[in-house]
Amino acid sequence: MEDGAQEGDWVVRAAVYGAAIMLVIICGFPLLWMLLTSIKPDREILSLVPTFWTDSPHLHAYERLFTKTKFLTYFRNSIFVAGCTTILTITVGSLAAYGLTRFRFRGKEFIAAILLLTYMFAPIMIVVPFYIMMRTAGLSNSLFGLILAYTAFSLPFCLWLLRSFFQSIPIDLEEQAMVDGATRPQAVLFVVMPLALPGIIAVSIFTFIVAWNDYLFARVLIGLDDLKTLPLGLQDLYESSTLDWGMIMAAGVMITIPSLLFFLFVQRYLIAGWGAGGVKG
Amino acid sequence: MAPAILLIAGLVLYPVLYSMWLSLHAKHAYLPIQRFIGFENFKFFLLEDEEFWRALKLGSIFTFGSLTLQIVIGIGAALVLNETFVGRGFVRAVTLFPYMLPTIVVVILMRWIFNDSYGIAKYLIQSSGLTQTPIVWFSSGMVMITLIMVSTWTFFPFVVIGTLSRLQTIDPELYAAAKVDGAGIFRRFYHITLPQLRSVIFVVVLLRFMFMFTKFDLVWLFAGAGGVGYFVRTLPIYTYLKTFGEMQVGAGAALSTMMFVMLGVFAFAYFTFFRREEHL
Repeated sequence: MEDGAQEGDWVVRAAVYGAAIMLVIICGFPLLWMLLTSIKPDREILSLVPTFWTDSPHLHAYERLFTKTKFLTYFRNSIFVAGCTTILTITVGSLAAYGLTRFRFRGKEFIAAILLLTYMFAPIMIVVPFYIMMRTAGLSNSLFGLILAYTAFSLPFCLWLLRSFFQSIPIDLEEQAMVDGATRPQAVLFVVMPLALPGIIAVSIFTFIVAWNDYLFARVLIGLDDLKTLPLGLQDLYESSTLDWGMIMAAGVMITIPSLLFFLFVQRYLIAGWGAGGVKG
Repeated sequence: MAPAILLIAGLVLYPVLYSMWLSLHAKHAYLPIQRFIGFENFKFFLLEDEEFWRALKLGSIFTFGSLTLQIVIGIGAALVLNETFVGRGFVRAVTLFPYMLPTIVVVILMRWIFNDSYGIAKYLIQSSGLTQTPIVWFSSGMVMITLIMVSTWTFFPFVVIGTLSRLQTIDPELYAAAKVDGAGIFRRFYHITLPQLRSVIFVVVLLRFMFMFTKFDLVWLFAGAGGVGYFVRTLPIYTYLKTFGEMQVGAGAALSTMMFVMLGVFAFAYFTFFRREEHL
């Protein structure tokens, strides 16, 4: 909306700036507070009059986190599980999405409908049977079981997203490549996949975040301390320690960093992608 | 192609059907006890169990409270973020980020901010002079309100993303024309913006309802099983406690199944109502 000489326009401008500042404070301050707490000395943390800055910032809390707890083990497990889940989901999802958009077969629409239906299956609703199944299969207390669980959970949505991306790639392009002597796998790998890359990136990030953030499946499937992922590890740390708030906040900062990196990377596409991709409306 | 369908069938559809099958049994979580009992589990919850109805009530309060705030604040924020102002990119990024934050981080951070002794919230409220008696955020009377506030904080960006992406596709010509006709900001909002947002709000409300109604991790980590957690024991929490606390897998599966049915009924009613309204 361009500024005209509209009556009351400056009131609107002032309101917009006021609201924007509010948003930054409400959404940003807690994060800043977490960071600040993690680098404050204990006497400033446990003070009835909080300080909004600290003169003696230090990284002792991080040192305690890395040396006195198994945080790094949890971190490694989380990276491993989220990474494997992403690779598995992308591989299976791309193949399936390609098949769904390129081949004719019976029940195609039915499969698409089922994909959307799975939206209604929240983790808490499938965790009960999942637990029994995984135990029967001997996959409880195994990171592989966890990877399977996350793949199952994110695959329907990813497939749905990828499908709309593959649909937007003209079929002529790969037919052209095949006329020129490429096999179908070659055509897919060198013609279709590069064009679908933005969609694949979006889906990778979604999948990674699902696996990175999950608590429920990990809680139910993992019991061994050495196999815990970050959310489990941090919860147990929080509940077992005589609260070392500096260290807990340091752990929070560490877990947030990968999410933040991903977020900065996709932020620009997030809003545009919403309209183009998964959630139609 | 086939592997994906098999994976989905095996890992998503099968568990749901298996869950319905389990709900007809009395089954222990790890002892080999499994007995077919028909609809006894359902009968128990619906007719005899007061805890079930209490969980449904608390879950509804949580869902509708949080959903309402998310929608109102989310749409408001999206309208602001759609305006042109200095630093818009930064404000957008900061506003959307809480949605990406892992739940466990949201929980420990908010437990620190709302801490009874050293929490910054307590300090800010007292020094602003709003009230001298400190608010105990994690007391039986307050915990639901605290939880609703925290869940709104972390989930309203979802509404912002959806609304903002739609706002950006509205033709600026419409506003220009309305301005020429002398329509003020409120009339422009009511007659141009709102009708255009209808469909996206419809979808966002439905999705957020389903997500909030079945929300487990935030509620569980925030308040725990016992103590103050009792006052936010929603259906997902109750399901977890039945299954993994009391080891009654059949009962847990019955609760899952009922949640599924409730979501289905809600979605159906919602669609029906919405369609009818659309014709008016």
